[in-house]
Amino acid sequence: MKVRVRTENNTTIIDCTGEVDLYSSPALRETLLREMRGASAMVLVNLTGVSYIDSSGIATLVEGLQLSQRTQTRFGLFGLRNNARSVLELARLTKVFTVFENEQEAVAKIASTLPFSGLP
Amino acid sequence: MQPTVHSIRISLSSEPRLLHILRCVVRYRAQEAGFPPEDSDCLSMAIDEAASNVIRHTYGNRPDAHLEVEIRSFPDRLEFTMEDSGPKVRPEALKPRPLEEVRPGGLGTYFIKCFMDAISFDEDFKEGNRLRLVKYLAPKGSISDESARQDRE
Repeated sequence: MKVRVRTENNTTIIDCTGEVDLYSSPALRETLLREMRGASAMVLVNLTGVSYIDSSGIATLVEGLQLSQRTQTRFGLFGLRNNARSVLELARLTKVFTVFENEQEAVAKIASTLPFSGLP
Repeated sequence: MQPTVHSIRISLSSEPRLLHILRCVVRYRAQEAGFPPEDSDCLSMAIDEAASNVIRHTYGNRPDAHLEVEIRSFPDRLEFTMEDSGPKVRPEALKPRPLEEVRPGGLGTYFIKCFMDAISFDEDFKEGNRLRLVKYLAPKGSISDESARQDRE
């Protein structure tokens, strides 16, 4: 798995490529939490290149979501392939995360979303 | 005549980077046994989650321990056994957490339960743990088999 960080329109984008599993998820976690604690008010995770994600990868994204609540960072995902979408649906998390179809939509709309405020 | 049972046994050290290889073998074996690609992916994820649980919880992330995975192919099912030499795991560990709790962790067991038809610990296994997981093939011509075929077309 490879993780790359870039900035588009004042939004931090974490490009994640490859398989996210018990071996690789710590690298994503380190990057995600670092960016979430940084100066950026908006963080997106690009999952377009993710061919596999297991429960440790999902746990990393949930940890990011929880931290976004504390740091008041707007946080979203985009580019979910079928397998990642199926796993999130199975865990009933698609309604919990802010999910965009693609980067264009994500960058355009992330600013108008509200930071995660926890479950009702 | 007894049906032929094909068997593969994989010995892995408890290093997370080897999980990729385990997933590849399971996916290949599942497709060879007649599971559609989507089901083969689910099976490889279930076995990956079970092995990850052993590495994280039973071995406490020690990379120098071992686990053995056997895949047995029957005409109607695949059977997996996963053996470790760690401390005994209580059967309650197979109980998934409520999904209403949005928190990191605890989803692996839930995914295993979703993807497998049967899962149990062998209580007679003396040293360590032996987990048995079973997935049945949909009967040829069944509704699910037919809809899977239509999905692929």
